[in-house]
Amino acid sequence: MNQWLDERLHISRLNDKFLRKAFPVHHSFFLGEITLFSLIVLIITGILLALSYEPSNSLVVNSFDPGTADKVNYIPAAYHSALKINAMPFGDMLRRVHHWMANIMVAAAVIHMMRIYFTGAFKKPREINWWIGMLLLIFAALTAVTGYILPYDNYAYQTVGVVYAITKSVPWVGDWASQAAFAGQFPGAGIIPRIYGYHIMLLPGILLALTGAHLLIMIKQKHTQPQYAKRLAYKKIVGVPLLTQQTPIMLLLALLFTGIVLLFAAFIPVHPVEVFGAPSSTPIPNIKPDWYLLWVFGALAIIPSFDFQILGGTIGAEFVGAMVFPGIVIGLMFAVPMLDISKENNYYAENPTDHPVRLAAGTAFMAFMLTLSLAGYKPDLIQGGVLTTANANAVLWILVFVVPALTYFATVGIVRLIRALREADERDAAAHSAQLSHSAADD
Amino acid sequence: MTRYKKQDPELTRRKFINAAMGGAAAIGTLSLISTLGGAKPVFRLTPALAPPMEGDVLVHADPSRYGEPVKVSDLGLQLVRAWPQGKDKNGSPVIRDQDPTSVLAIFKYPAGQIQAPTNMEGTIDGQIVAYGDRCQHAGCNVGNNDQKPGLMNCPCHSGQYDPKLGGKVIGGPPPAPLAQLPIKLDGDKIVATGFFLSKPYGFNTEDDWTKYTAQVKELLS
Repeated sequence: MNQWLDERLHISRLNDKFLRKAFPVHHSFFLGEITLFSLIVLIITGILLALSYEPSNSLVVNSFDPGTADKVNYIPAAYHSALKINAMPFGDMLRRVHHWMANIMVAAAVIHMMRIYFTGAFKKPREINWWIGMLLLIFAALTAVTGYILPYDNYAYQTVGVVYAITKSVPWVGDWASQAAFAGQFPGAGIIPRIYGYHIMLLPGILLALTGAHLLIMIKQKHTQPQYAKRLAYKKIVGVPLLTQQTPIMLLLALLFTGIVLLFAAFIPVHPVEVFGAPSSTPIPNIKPDWYLLWVFGALAIIPSFDFQILGGTIGAEFVGAMVFPGIVIGLMFAVPMLDISKENNYYAENPTDHPVRLAAGTAFMAFMLTLSLAGYKPDLIQGGVLTTANANAVLWILVFVVPALTYFATVGIVRLIRALREADERDAAAHSAQLSHSAADD
Repeated sequence: MTRYKKQDPELTRRKFINAAMGGAAAIGTLSLISTLGGAKPVFRLTPALAPPMEGDVLVHADPSRYGEPVKVSDLGLQLVRAWPQGKDKNGSPVIRDQDPTSVLAIFKYPAGQIQAPTNMEGTIDGQIVAYGDRCQHAGCNVGNNDQKPGLMNCPCHSGQYDPKLGGKVIGGPPPAPLAQLPIKLDGDKIVATGFFLSKPYGFNTEDDWTKYTAQVKELLS
């Protein structure tokens, strides 16, 4: 069969160029693969869900609870179809798998990025792939947000209201942009078809195109090599080829991973649309976004109110908290490859402890995001009696700055300790071997 | 010695191709952008989309009592959510629940607690007061403050309001107080006596709001 294919498709050339790609043998290199597998499962489950979903916010009679003749129970068609999906065999399971996979995809992507950052794999020549990765992260988050608006229960309704408000808060163009993006003033008659279009066509298309570019560049540039490769064969590519060694490992990992996610989708329910109910004017207490947007939510919760006019545009707390501030944070992450000014190409994954400032800056950044996420729990902290309404903002603001600073210095201190111990070990080993050779010479 | 000097053509091939590509890109981009024009639908005001206005009866928004007129006996320190109910062209009643900005929160306090900057003429006996229930920050529906009855808390980003003081912001990010709706008692029904006294959520300036109310009056009268 190989020969038959080769005569027609020149498989051997493809084999030499792509299928022999060497994969480094280290478990941290599987994080990107897990992100990819999640995307594939998301697309498969997404297609299955789209087959039974009705993208419309027109009101229909709730077939599960039709009400009475003089008081008919109308609900949006999208919400009705979500209820129907839950009622079909394995329908609820399908929604849960889709939901969990989305969360895991973002989580795996974030940990993958942490690996890249801490080992210096973003350095020349891989800057472009860091930027594409950042775009992937942003578009993945946007896809997730549009995704959880689609069931159009009360939770989704309140969420899309906030997303609309954030778009609207942009000075000068916000009004036009929000109405163009969400099909008229909130909640426009066409809001669900519009978001459905984004979620199943536009955003997955962008994600797939970016993923393709990400992988092609990775194949062209090769992985960074783990440290042992330096000792084994300097400046040579070390690893197992895609065909036939890496492929079975990948398949095993993909199937095992999918199996595990299916297993806990079976036992851990997510987003019960029946509990939240149809869109209504009753707010949901303690409503929160998904964990990867909690830091923006936290920033909005502690930013004080302000509002000023500039050249006819209004700049308010909403715009600064939800657009300018995340813009700065994401801009910083985009700028990471600029921090390295070396002209040399980087072949090897670096030991994080050899770069204490980069390591400490990274952990401080993570501490910053975590503290802001904690600020997202402000109402719960007040309700639980940990903080009071009067001191909550002050305490949280102090924590937002103090915790990252402490993390930075603690990390630098720990790295110094590790290096001191390591050097002492090396001195010991050197002295020991000198002694050994000395005594050997004596004999 | 040559009699003919080679002359550069006025336009090199490279220049022509570059200009042609630039032109095509500009035209192509413009025509693609023009399709975006269809993205923003036209806004048409219908009675169901209108804001609460003079003569509207306030009816319950809660699904269990949806559409029943709000009575004084229903009110207290816990907010009662309501929609305005007006009339369409044929005079039949229509609940204005299509624009979330129209939803209202009604409170009743013991006499003397409601104070300026609340518009006292817009209250009933200085005891019952109504506000637009959309947070001025991101437009979420504002709920009760569970710790302090009579105050309001927005679940979205922790905006806090005091309805006794004209819907003043007492915490969190909202940039403006809640919009008060002037009301009166008509028999046992609560009836609006005008538009919101200040801009509700969704309008950038007071000016935008006055312009909009003038437009609403013209279109629906």
